[in-house]
Amino acid sequence: MPEWKSDIRKRLESLKLTPSREYEIVEELAGHLEDRYQEMLARGVTRDEAERAARAELNDGQLLVRELNRIERKFGAEPIALGARRNNMLGSLWQDMRYGLRLIRKNPGFSAVVVLTLAVGIGANTAIFSVVNAVMLRSLPFGDPDRLVRLNESNPERGWPTFSVSHPNFLDWRDRNQTFEAIAATSGVSANIGTPGQIEVVRGSAVTVGFLEVLGTSPLIGRNFLPEEDRPGGNSRVVILTHGSWQRRFGGDPDVLGKTLTVNDNAFTIVGVLPESFAWVTDSNYELLVPLAPDPQRSRSDHRLLVIGKLKQGVSREQALADMNTLAAQLADQFPESNKGWSVVAQSFYDWMIPEQIRRSLLLFLGAVGVVLLIACTNVANLMLARATARQKEISIRIALGASRRRIASQLLVEALSLAMISGVAGLGVAWLAMKALTAMNPGDVPRLDELSMDRRVLGFSVLISLVTGVLFGLAPAIHAARTNLNEMLKEGGRSVTGGKARQRVRSFLVTVEVGLSVALLISAGLLLRSFWRLQDVDPGFKSDRLLTMRINLPRNRYPQNPQAWGFYKRFMEEASALPGVEAVAVTSGLPVSGGGTAGEVRIEGKPGADGTPLSADWRIVSPGYFQTMGIPLRGREFEERDKNDSQPVTIISEEMAQRYWPGEDPIGKSVTLVSFGRTAFTVVGVVGNIKTISLESDPAPMSYVSTPFAASWNPMNLVIRTSGEPNAQVSALRSTIGSIDPNLGVYEIRSVGEILSNSLGSRRFTMFLLAVFAGVALLLACVGLFGVMAYLVSQRTHEIGVRLALGARPGDVFRLVIGRGMALAAGGSVLGLGGAWAIGRFLETMLYQVRPTDPITLASAPVVLLVVALMACYVPARRAMKVDPMVALRYE
Amino acid sequence: MSYMNAVLDRELKKGSAELLILSLVETRPRHGYEISKLIEARSDGVLKFNVASLYPLLYRLEKRGWIQGRWVEKAGQRRRRYYKLTRDGRKVLAAQRSGWEEFVAAINRITGAERA
Repeated sequence: MPEWKSDIRKRLESLKLTPSREYEIVEELAGHLEDRYQEMLARGVTRDEAERAARAELNDGQLLVRELNRIERKFGAEPIALGARRNNMLGSLWQDMRYGLRLIRKNPGFSAVVVLTLAVGIGANTAIFSVVNAVMLRSLPFGDPDRLVRLNESNPERGWPTFSVSHPNFLDWRDRNQTFEAIAATSGVSANIGTPGQIEVVRGSAVTVGFLEVLGTSPLIGRNFLPEEDRPGGNSRVVILTHGSWQRRFGGDPDVLGKTLTVNDNAFTIVGVLPESFAWVTDSNYELLVPLAPDPQRSRSDHRLLVIGKLKQGVSREQALADMNTLAAQLADQFPESNKGWSVVAQSFYDWMIPEQIRRSLLLFLGAVGVVLLIACTNVANLMLARATARQKEISIRIALGASRRRIASQLLVEALSLAMISGVAGLGVAWLAMKALTAMNPGDVPRLDELSMDRRVLGFSVLISLVTGVLFGLAPAIHAARTNLNEMLKEGGRSVTGGKARQRVRSFLVTVEVGLSVALLISAGLLLRSFWRLQDVDPGFKSDRLLTMRINLPRNRYPQNPQAWGFYKRFMEEASALPGVEAVAVTSGLPVSGGGTAGEVRIEGKPGADGTPLSADWRIVSPGYFQTMGIPLRGREFEERDKNDSQPVTIISEEMAQRYWPGEDPIGKSVTLVSFGRTAFTVVGVVGNIKTISLESDPAPMSYVSTPFAASWNPMNLVIRTSGEPNAQVSALRSTIGSIDPNLGVYEIRSVGEILSNSLGSRRFTMFLLAVFAGVALLLACVGLFGVMAYLVSQRTHEIGVRLALGARPGDVFRLVIGRGMALAAGGSVLGLGGAWAIGRFLETMLYQVRPTDPITLASAPVVLLVVALMACYVPARRAMKVDPMVALRYE
Repeated sequence: MSYMNAVLDRELKKGSAELLILSLVETRPRHGYEISKLIEARSDGVLKFNVASLYPLLYRLEKRGWIQGRWVEKAGQRRRRYYKLTRDGRKVLAAQRSGWEEFVAAINRITGAERA
């Protein structure tokens, strides 16, 4: 019987029919020809003639193809056989996906490993991105945030690049600037609210009239402050409540306007309530705004105000800065005594509220977590490669059956993408958990960390990285499959001994990269860890254990002057030190390591500053017994109660100040003018050790102390109490002591010094912890990858190992062979990692403390850690290789 | 066959081919080879369809939904595709048939008149 079909198929080729349709037509036409042939034979013609007659039926020029083309191309696409030529993008994509999903279901173990690995990677990335999104990308919660700037006075020559603003300077800025739509000053206040015996201390802001306008908001009900309420001597006993305070204290009563609130013993009239969206400070105990009433009569050297401004439409920050500095120069001419050398700096709200350091940390996290994902991808790519090897025969057969290489590759890629998308969904779950954890770990100084949420941008990001992930780990196997050498594969047939040299090389390379990345991360985490340890070992200059602190605010009307205020502190110190469990009590205007401080100009007879720049020093007001309570070493004498005399003021200075201003001399008995405390000369009566004032990292600054009896009316003050046991156990006793002296007083910010120190390291701990977690995960993944490659290698080379053993190799040799191979990969990776760490080190430099990015201990120990873990990862495969039974291995062939 | 005859033959076939096929499957389903044999036999060899001309026609009719093909396997025979007339096909056949009859009658009137 003649073969009709190939002839027919050749004629139909140009039509590019779907395979099933083509099959059908070929069947039918061949049947027709066969019928014709048989009929001719039955008539008694020769076979050749019969065949010619039958074939003649096809010969009608191009009629068949032309006619069929007109009809058939209008047929809807039918499902395509797997691996068939692509002529329907979506149809085959869908088919590939279904096939991929079926494979995923068929290999639950493999799929679970892949999904889990990737979910961790994608989840961590999504979580960190959600932080970046909340902190850096989302716009600040103010109207026109791009036009908002913070204005500071600046005196770089005296080492004060940014400094608060004095009342009169602010007023001049407000009245004489050309570039701001609105400009306002504010300062933090704390206020005693409530009934006697149940006093609560709340926070708020004293603000000038323009404050809400600058922030682009207005009261929800009621009104803003009036200009006459915002000037000295005006009726400034008015208050605007925050939304939270209104809800909490007045149950959201719409008739709250006009009611009074007792603040620091005075009745304040409520004139407005802020909207819930008001976001200047979002702490729950931030409750009120009061008028600031800036005073033109105050000293221009008394810098206290935080000034913010909203640029006029179309005015750039540079233009505004030029305008302000022209103004500053005019003021310096007008008031050389106070304003010479002072200029203005302007900072965008964004730069101010999201400090460089935090942005740097976040980028570091993003990079680190990206590396983790990259390692996860590499692992999965290796797994996929291994599986592609196992599926080699399937793929070869499909190619032999006519599947195009491109189609095979794209199918593998679609499989990878399906896996990646499933992982992405699982990753969202991981991200959700991680975001909870991050919020809980909030070190306190990362702004807006409490605003984490999965918004569209975060979801988009996770979809994007899932896709990228899929492409990353799907590409290598896909390319490999496309390069499959059909002859080789089919020839090898059942002998699946080699995974292909090239493939093995790719896998080894990937593992080396993984190891390198994780070493780089380990080193980064190590450097931060060493910085952290260094900082924890820093001597703050005082004894920080069993030290309790609390803040107190003495209302001006009942404690108007130093004597009244000192009277209170003195009584408190006496009564509190009589409490059981209390060893010593003192009062200070500023706690150490608290992030800020007070400073001012000092003058010393015969010692002008270099280049005519005035000398300056920090100052604190401390009570008698302060140095003893804090455990700060002292030479000379402590303050005493008698040190309140305005005519014979005394000061105690720090070692740093002594060395800087009286080098080689004994400063005790010398005199110094502290400009912040009037023009009188203070006699130095003691020298104390340096303490860390701003942070544990800060260098010691010259510091002068004046006595509380001399300046007790400063508000707020900090009470420091040295206890014999757990500091927090004394809180209630101390509260009732204060209540018994003055029932209208409350304390706030009750913390142990231990907590203060620990908080000051909070963001470092956060950074270090996260980076350590990422490095740990990276290490783990890299070793899992190494294990996978070694185990695979051993299983692929079982035959070879069997031969070696049969030829007389000892198990120990085989063990060493495998371990040696694994260690070579790990060592190669470590070298890569050291290079990577060098690059990261430059970025890390500013985050380190007394540790150089090239710290030899860290650089050496990270690879050691890795090699040890890598050794463990290679151990199991090596043991397995050693135990290969030559007989079994050879028979297996 | 003269030149004119050849042209007429082609035109007639083209215009009437659909009608022929629909008529042939009207009473019962038939396969392609059977249809071609029937046309040839009943026209005493005047009309002939080969594979290249018949099947595109069948597929077109099938696609229009006038006939429907189905693979049928009969005992002792090869699998064949049988086409049967659909409901739509039946309506089309009726319409074409009357149209054709009118056409033929018209031709006859003209040619008959000439002859007379």
